[in-house]
Amino acid sequence: MSGDDDELPEDSPEELFENAPCGYLTTRLDGTIVKVNRTLEALTGFDRAELVGQRRFQDLLSVGGRIYHETHYAPLLQIQGHVREIAVDLVRADGTVLPALVNSVLRHDAQGAPRAIRTTVFDATDRRSYERELIRARDREHEIAAQLQRGLLAGEIPQDPALDLGVEYLPAVTGLEVGGDWYDAFALGERAIALVVGDVVGRGIVAATTMGQLRSAVRALAGTGLEPGALLEALDRYARRHAIGQMTTLTYARLDLDSGALTIASAGHLPPALAAPGDAPEFLWGGRSAPLDATLDPEPRAQAGVTLRPDSMLVLFTDGLIERVDRPLQMGLDGLLAEIDARRDRPAAALAADLTRAMLAERRTSDDVCVVALRWAPPA
Amino acid sequence: MLFAHGFGCDQNMWRSVWPAFAADHRVILMDYVGHGRSDHRAFDPERYASLDGYAADILEVVHELDLREAVLVGHSVSAMIGALAVAREPERFSRLVMVGPSPRYIDDGDYVGGFSRADVDELLTSLEGNYLGWSSAMAPAIMGNDDRPELGEELTELFCATDPEIARHFARVTFLSDNRADLPRVPVRTLVLQCSSDIIAPEGVGAYVHRHLPDSELVQLVATGHCPNLSAPEETAEAIRAFLDS
Repeated sequence: MSGDDDELPEDSPEELFENAPCGYLTTRLDGTIVKVNRTLEALTGFDRAELVGQRRFQDLLSVGGRIYHETHYAPLLQIQGHVREIAVDLVRADGTVLPALVNSVLRHDAQGAPRAIRTTVFDATDRRSYERELIRARDREHEIAAQLQRGLLAGEIPQDPALDLGVEYLPAVTGLEVGGDWYDAFALGERAIALVVGDVVGRGIVAATTMGQLRSAVRALAGTGLEPGALLEALDRYARRHAIGQMTTLTYARLDLDSGALTIASAGHLPPALAAPGDAPEFLWGGRSAPLDATLDPEPRAQAGVTLRPDSMLVLFTDGLIERVDRPLQMGLDGLLAEIDARRDRPAAALAADLTRAMLAERRTSDDVCVVALRWAPPA
Repeated sequence: MLFAHGFGCDQNMWRSVWPAFAADHRVILMDYVGHGRSDHRAFDPERYASLDGYAADILEVVHELDLREAVLVGHSVSAMIGALAVAREPERFSRLVMVGPSPRYIDDGDYVGGFSRADVDELLTSLEGNYLGWSSAMAPAIMGNDDRPELGEELTELFCATDPEIARHFARVTFLSDNRADLPRVPVRTLVLQCSSDIIAPEGVGAYVHRHLPDSELVQLVATGHCPNLSAPEETAEAIRAFLDS
């Protein structure tokens, strides 16, 4: 080691400054350049005679970068005395663009008044192209998950003279990933239908594929004629066997289109709301049990029955409709009944859409929102 | 006296200016929804699809506090947002102060705003590359749905952090706006504060604003750049004071 030291170039302060592994410039508060190092000359292609006293730091930026400088960089530097890791494009003397990362600190005089700005500039060409790849990958994943979700939810909803059925489905618009809410409505034999809403834990492609598997499993199990409670028990076993969908919540309901007999089984899901003609809307709390595959030794699944009166409106939904961090769950539930009451005579599709709009008010949804509204009105 | 911040930061922009008026005014600082310490979840892309949505924010503050005879001070895009608010409910305001206003940023025929559409697109790209503390770790704390209070301390040091989606949205709305036709509708006496070498709102634009306002005074500041409220707070406050006293 010691023998090699003699061969190192002398690191004088001057040498350190001029050939530092980053570009360096000192400017006045208005950006006018007063000092640069050799590395900055090499990075920008300008020599110091063209920079010092001739250009401001912001003059080295692309136009978009200048706007960013005026609206973000300069204010932040004034307020907190430093800015770090700002990505800007420098325009070199030959017009080519240098993607750079920039740090600045405000220098003060003895009286504490700001006097100058010291800035270091790092070539960030490779880092920037990698970031762009990451952003593209993120956007692509989001788009794939959203397409998958849309594809998995596609399908006709059953038509019947006794039925008015409407669905509102809003995928999460904030955050980077889609959620795992789903709904389904399909015929059970000639004179009955099944209604399902569910919510898979997690987000993104995994949640979307899990949702698709559970949705198909429910359809397949429903085709065997299982009662709602027994269907959830079978779905428990399916989830356990294939290690998917643990802690999923869902409501499965079967409605007899001739008699109005409704049977509900809910695996930890929020209760459906019922607005029967002449009565205040209420929640159907019966037939509840734990979320899917929640315990090692599951109890038999409960189910509950109620007979709808003609012209009753039934609303199934997921928690995105009522959950807000700024208020208790109960307030959301109470509010939901009031909003349903105000629209109970509207067509089901309009009710589902209006209700969603009213409940979300001006909020962006960071969770999926799913609402299924059904009016049972058998022909007289 | 109500101070409204521009694109890029929050009410911190006024921290060296408002104290000059605290002795003889009720001073109110606000953050638009989606900025500063506002409830970011209340941001609605549709409501804020034009500057009118932001003007509505100002008017909601005015109503909530039942302000009358208010002096509205708007910086940058807020100068125009303020003009929209004043035009909508002139009875609430006595004066308007526009710091670095521009009614349209993009050149249009003889009108020189200073930018092209391509410049604005480039800005939007550069916003995507600059998250300024907005990582998945910090975002929940900034947005208020935070279950980790230990982040609170860091947050007090985090200025001007904005959800990048909201920042891009505000940038698009701001830099594509054209509110030239609204200038003649501002019914209160207005001060136009024009900076030197301001690329966002060049001197020709300030003169245009002054010319098209029914009743205005144009003051040229020595301060350079787009943020005299930060770079030259004394000069800015003195100009506003002289206008209020006139």
